[in-house]
Amino acid sequence: MKHNKKRIAKMVDELVTYMFSIGATDISINISDEVDSYRIRLESNYLNKYRKNLDKLQKYLNYDKQEEMEEYYWELAGDSDVDTELTLIGMMTDEAEIDYNDDRIKITLRRNKKG
Amino acid sequence: MGRRDSKFIFMAVFSISLIAFGFIVDTPEEILHGIVRILVESDILISDYIGIGGIGAAFVNSGLLTLIFTMLLHKLEINFNGPAFASLFIVAGFALFGKNLFNVWFIVLGVYLYARFHKDKFSKYIYIALFGTTLAPIVTEIILNTSLPMHTRLPLGLFTGMSIGFLLPPLSTYLLRVHQGFNLYNIGFTGGLIGTIYVSVFKSYGLLPNSRVIWTTGNNALLGIFLAVLFFIMIALGIFMDRNIKHSYKNILGYSGRLVSDFVLLEGFGPSLVNMGICGLIGTIYIVIIGGDLNGPTIGGIFTIVGFGGFGKHPKNILPIFAGVFLGSITKIWGINDPSIQLAALFGTALAPIAGEFGWYFGVLAGFLHSSVVLNVGVLHEGLNLYNNGFAAGIVAAFLVPIIQAFRKDESDEA
Repeated sequence: MKHNKKRIAKMVDELVTYMFSIGATDISINISDEVDSYRIRLESNYLNKYRKNLDKLQKYLNYDKQEEMEEYYWELAGDSDVDTELTLIGMMTDEAEIDYNDDRIKITLRRNKKG
Repeated sequence: MGRRDSKFIFMAVFSISLIAFGFIVDTPEEILHGIVRILVESDILISDYIGIGGIGAAFVNSGLLTLIFTMLLHKLEINFNGPAFASLFIVAGFALFGKNLFNVWFIVLGVYLYARFHKDKFSKYIYIALFGTTLAPIVTEIILNTSLPMHTRLPLGLFTGMSIGFLLPPLSTYLLRVHQGFNLYNIGFTGGLIGTIYVSVFKSYGLLPNSRVIWTTGNNALLGIFLAVLFFIMIALGIFMDRNIKHSYKNILGYSGRLVSDFVLLEGFGPSLVNMGICGLIGTIYIVIIGGDLNGPTIGGIFTIVGFGGFGKHPKNILPIFAGVFLGSITKIWGINDPSIQLAALFGTALAPIAGEFGWYFGVLAGFLHSSVVLNVGVLHEGLNLYNNGFAAGIVAAFLVPIIQAFRKDESDEA
């Protein structure tokens, strides 16, 4: 697969853009290049008034992987500051975990190296 | 029956209904004769297959091609979500004026070769292959309509078609960034660029396609009834499938429609079907109200709106585009029911996400600009890019979106 690392960077870009949109002011990101996969871990605060949005975030990031969508549309991830592409991130992800409480959120995404 | 199966069956039944309609209106002999004419004649814009081969042949060509691609998606185990419906309906629509059982395969083969070149699965590129058949007329034009000797034009036509398919994946993905997903017909934009380069080279060697307009009239009653029945069935089916249809449909109307807005995935198949049917009715009613013609090209436009009714378009974001084109007809030198302007309104809905994201007034502005731009860019590719409106819409979106964003109130100012 071409541009694999660029795709990881785009996914992170999209997540950061989303976190800013829900009022984040303190975001920590860790990206690890593991044997069979890449793992993105994001921890952040957020404004509680956006808590109802997080159900949708959970739904979007847990969509089944769709390689045919990724191959065509991956360049759009993280590209707009007026809209989000979270469904696309879900389609680029093999496994997603989202934990949150009143003011903190923790997201872990795993993306296999082999498509 | 799984959800994937029900969506596959819907597309198969839709394809068969097109074939059946063809056989109802014409005899098998007329259809066979008409299909042969469709295969050998030029396909450049605007070539209404109803005028070339008759209603029956045009619809059988459309139904067969859609059925073959539906089976291909099923075989490749593709999820039948928004883009699947958009790509299949766009094939169904353009198989009434430009795509046929002969000319599409070389581009598909080129995309396949690209996948093999990168040792990748062809299924990953299937949407690019389906949408990419926009440049299919170039194959017909070189093989069947140039004065070159057969031993030159046959390999040249095959190579041209396959090379276009080979170039489409990297170009189409890259060009998304130019309009940021605000032009739903991104491959039209890509096809316009490729077509411009190829036609420029061909022109340098004296190869120039002859422009033509084949545009049928007088079939509004027959075709209007067929379309109305089709779209009402889709709406009824969608309502039957989702008990919570009001809520789901309201959600659909809330999306901007910017790529990637997969309504089938986000809200389900039932509400998407309702939206597809309603969008189809709006397109049909628009053509009838303005005194336009239901024929191959306009039904192509209507089917494309229907397909993207599962992938970005809904009444709230397409109506401002129609209004913009209509406004243009009052102030500009052309009439609202000129053939190119009928198509500009239908296909201009590629810009629907601008209305959805920035407000209806910007949608009206986009439609207003699009109706002028589209009349000016076709000459670049000499009508060989079927999605000429997608090409124009890409230019309009690339022009408008950064300007709107630059003067839009930033969220940091709101705090």
